[in-house]
Amino acid sequence: MQNVLKALRANLILGGVAAFTVLLFGGWSGSMIGWLLGTAVGYLDTHEQSIPHPKVGLRIGAINGFALGLWVAAASLVEGLILRPLSGQAIVPLPQDLLHAVVGLAVTTVAAALMGAMQGLPRRRSKLAHQTTHGSLSRRQGTLLILAAILLFFPFADRMAQTGWIATVIQVLIFAMLALGLNIPVGYAGLLDLGYAAFFAIGAYTTGMLSSPHLGIEWNFWLVIWIAAAVAAVAGLILGSPTLPLRGDYLAIVTLGFGEIVPIVFRNLTEIRIVEPISSLFATLLNRPELAICLVGCEQPFNLTNGETGINPIGRPWLPFIGSFSSTNYLPWYYLVLLLVIFSMFMINRLRNSRLGRAWTAIREDELAASSMGINRVNVKLLAFAMGATFSGFAGAFYASYITAIFPSVFDFSVSVIILCMVILGGLGNMIGVLLGCVIIMSADRLYLPQFAQVLKGFLNTTVLPNIANPALRDFLAISVDPIQMRLFLFGLVLVVMMIVRPEGLVPNSRRRAELHSEDVVANESLADVRSVG
Amino acid sequence: MLELIDVHTYYGNIQALKGINLSVSPGEVVTLIGSNGAGKTTTLRTIQGLLRPRQGKVLFEDRELNVVSTEEIVRLGIAQSPEGRMIFPRMTVLENLEMGAFQRRDSTGIKTDMEHVFSLFPRLKERISQKGGTLSGGEQQMLAIGRALMARPRLLLLDEPSMGLAPMLVSQIFSIIQEISAEGMTILLVEQNARMALTVANRGYVLQTGEIVLSGDAKELQVNETVRKAYLGEE
Repeated sequence: MQNVLKALRANLILGGVAAFTVLLFGGWSGSMIGWLLGTAVGYLDTHEQSIPHPKVGLRIGAINGFALGLWVAAASLVEGLILRPLSGQAIVPLPQDLLHAVVGLAVTTVAAALMGAMQGLPRRRSKLAHQTTHGSLSRRQGTLLILAAILLFFPFADRMAQTGWIATVIQVLIFAMLALGLNIPVGYAGLLDLGYAAFFAIGAYTTGMLSSPHLGIEWNFWLVIWIAAAVAAVAGLILGSPTLPLRGDYLAIVTLGFGEIVPIVFRNLTEIRIVEPISSLFATLLNRPELAICLVGCEQPFNLTNGETGINPIGRPWLPFIGSFSSTNYLPWYYLVLLLVIFSMFMINRLRNSRLGRAWTAIREDELAASSMGINRVNVKLLAFAMGATFSGFAGAFYASYITAIFPSVFDFSVSVIILCMVILGGLGNMIGVLLGCVIIMSADRLYLPQFAQVLKGFLNTTVLPNIANPALRDFLAISVDPIQMRLFLFGLVLVVMMIVRPEGLVPNSRRRAELHSEDVVANESLADVRSVG
Repeated sequence: MLELIDVHTYYGNIQALKGINLSVSPGEVVTLIGSNGAGKTTTLRTIQGLLRPRQGKVLFEDRELNVVSTEEIVRLGIAQSPEGRMIFPRMTVLENLEMGAFQRRDSTGIKTDMEHVFSLFPRLKERISQKGGTLSGGEQQMLAIGRALMARPRLLLLDEPSMGLAPMLVSQIFSIIQEISAEGMTILLVEQNARMALTVANRGYVLQTGEIVLSGDAKELQVNETVRKAYLGEE
C-alpha cells in the first residue's frame, strides 16, 4: 500500500515536471525528458523493494513508465494542438504531433522498464554469492551502466531531438563541480562558507592570466588547469587561517568578506605600480623623486586583470584528433567537463572515507571532543577549505576556457549564494543530493525560466493582448508579466517553501536528518533510559 | 607518572587554577573532588593541552607537556572521557569508538581493544550500529569511557562519569572503573560525587576555587571532618 502511494507521488511530481517541460519546449523534448525521467521513475519505484527477478522489475518499471509516458503524450498533444496556436508559434501538422506523443510514451516506458529490470538483478551480498553469479551484472553495476549510457549518449540524443539543451548541461556540470567542492567545508566539516565564488574567481583568473595574450603568457590548458586548482587551494588555506578560532555565524561573516574582497581586487588590479619602499621613503624625505627605485609598472602602470572589461580571449584546450576545442562544437566540452565532474566525485568520495573525512565529521559534530581524541583541529579545518577550493579551481579553469572571457562581475556574492543553495536544497553532506540540487536549480534558472518567459510572451502577444481594449492595462501587462524579472523572487520563494517542508534537503544525509527531526531522537532517548534503568 | 607543578590556568583574564600541585603514580586511581566551578575540568583540560597553563609545569613521565600538541599528548598515552560525555551524536557507536582510536594505525590492536571495550560494556555491542545521540545517558557514559580506552592510554582521565545518572547506573559505572583499574590502568578521576569517588580511589585531592585545600589517602579523606561536612553531606 505504501509502495503504491509512493509510486503515485513520484508519478505525480515527475509527471508534472515532464508535462511542464513538454509544454514549454514542444517537439521531441517529450522523448528526451521521458528518457531521463523514465529512468528516474524506473529507479525510484523499484529500488527500495527487493525485486526477485529482472522480469518483475521490468514489469513494474514498464507500468510506472507507461503512467509517466501518458503525461508526456498528453502534454505533447496539448502543446501541439492548443498551446502552439495560442502562443503564436508555427503550427505543427497533426500526424507529427501524434508521432511526438507516441514516441515520447514509448521511450518513457522503455527507459523505465530497463531501469526497473536492472533493479531486479541480484544484490552482491558476499564474495561467494558473486562467484556463483559470475558473468552477470550486479544490481549496482546495472544501474551504473544505465546512468553511464545516459551521460555518454546525452549529446547525441540532444542533437537528434533538436532540443539544444547541451549548452545548459555544460553550465550545470560546471556548477556541479562547484557544489561538490563547497559540500566539503559546509556539508562534511560544518564550516559555513559564504564566499565560495572567490575560489571560482581565483581559478578562472589564474587560467585567464596564464593562457591569454593579455599578459603574453599562453600556456597549455592541460597544465594551467592544475595550476589553477593549486592556486585556489592555497587561497583556501589563506582564507581558512583567520577563521580558525571562529565558529558558526562569525565564520560565515569572515568568509562573506573574503568573497566580497576577491572580485573587487580583480576589478581594480588595473594600474599597478610598485616602488621599492625604502628608496621611496628617502625620495619623499629628501624631496628627490628620482631616487625611488621602481620595481613594477615603471613606464606605464601594469595592467594585471584588465578591470571590468575582463581578460579576453582565453586559450582553449587542444587534443590530438580533435584539435582546439571550438565554440560551435559542444561535444568535446561536454565530455571534458563530465570527466572533471566524475573525477571530482571519485576524489571527494575517497576523501570522505579517509581518515581526514572522519576527522571532518568529528569536528562538525563536536570540536572539543574531536580535539581530545587527538584530532588536529587546525589542520583538519584548513584542509577542508583547501580541498573545497581545489575543486572550484578546476571549475574556474574550465569555465574561463569555455567562455574564453572572464569579468569580475561573474563572481559576485549571488554566485556564492546560489552554490550554497544547491548544497542545502539537495541535502548537506550527500553527494547525490548536492548534484540533484545543482541540476534542479541550474536547469530551472538557465533552461526553464527563459523558455517560460518566451512562451508566455508569445501567448500574451497573440492571445491576451489583442483582446484587451484598455490601452493602459495592455501596456501594464506587456511590461510587468516577465518571469525573468521575477527570477530572484521565484528563487527565494522556492527556498522558503523548501526549508519549511523539507529542511534536510531532497536527498538528505542520514546524520543531518536525525539532527533536524530531533523530536524522534528525544523520544527514543527517554525510552532507552527507562529500559536501561529497568 | 603524571605531575602538575604550580599550575596556573586562565580563561581570558579569569584565573581558574591558582597553583595546582598534583601527582599520579603508575597503577593508581587518584580522585580530584570539589564542587561546581572548583576547577576540576580545567585541570583535566590543562593536562591534555586543550588549555595551556600560564605558569607552572605539566610533566608526564618526566616529559614537559606545556609545549606538546594535544594530538601528541594523546599519542603519548593520555586519553580523556570528557565532561558531559561529548560523544559524537550523529555517529554510530562503532564510529564513535573508531574515533577514539584516531591516532592509532595498528588495525589488529584496534580490533582487540574494541573487543575488550565490548567485554567491559556488553550493552555497547548490542547498540553497535545505533547513533550515539539516541543512546541513554548511562550508555553514552559507557561509550565515552570506551572511546577513551580505544586510544589505548596509559593514563585515563575521567571527567565526572556519574554526572546526571540514576544512582543505580552510577554504581554500575564505578564498578566498571574499578574493573579497568584492576587491569592495571592508571586513572585520574574527577568527581562531584565524593563518596563514590573516594571508595574506588587510592588517593584524593580536594579542590576549592582553583586551589588544592586537602590531599591524602582516600580512606583518610573519607573520615576527614571538613570533607565529611562539605562533600559527603554528613553532620
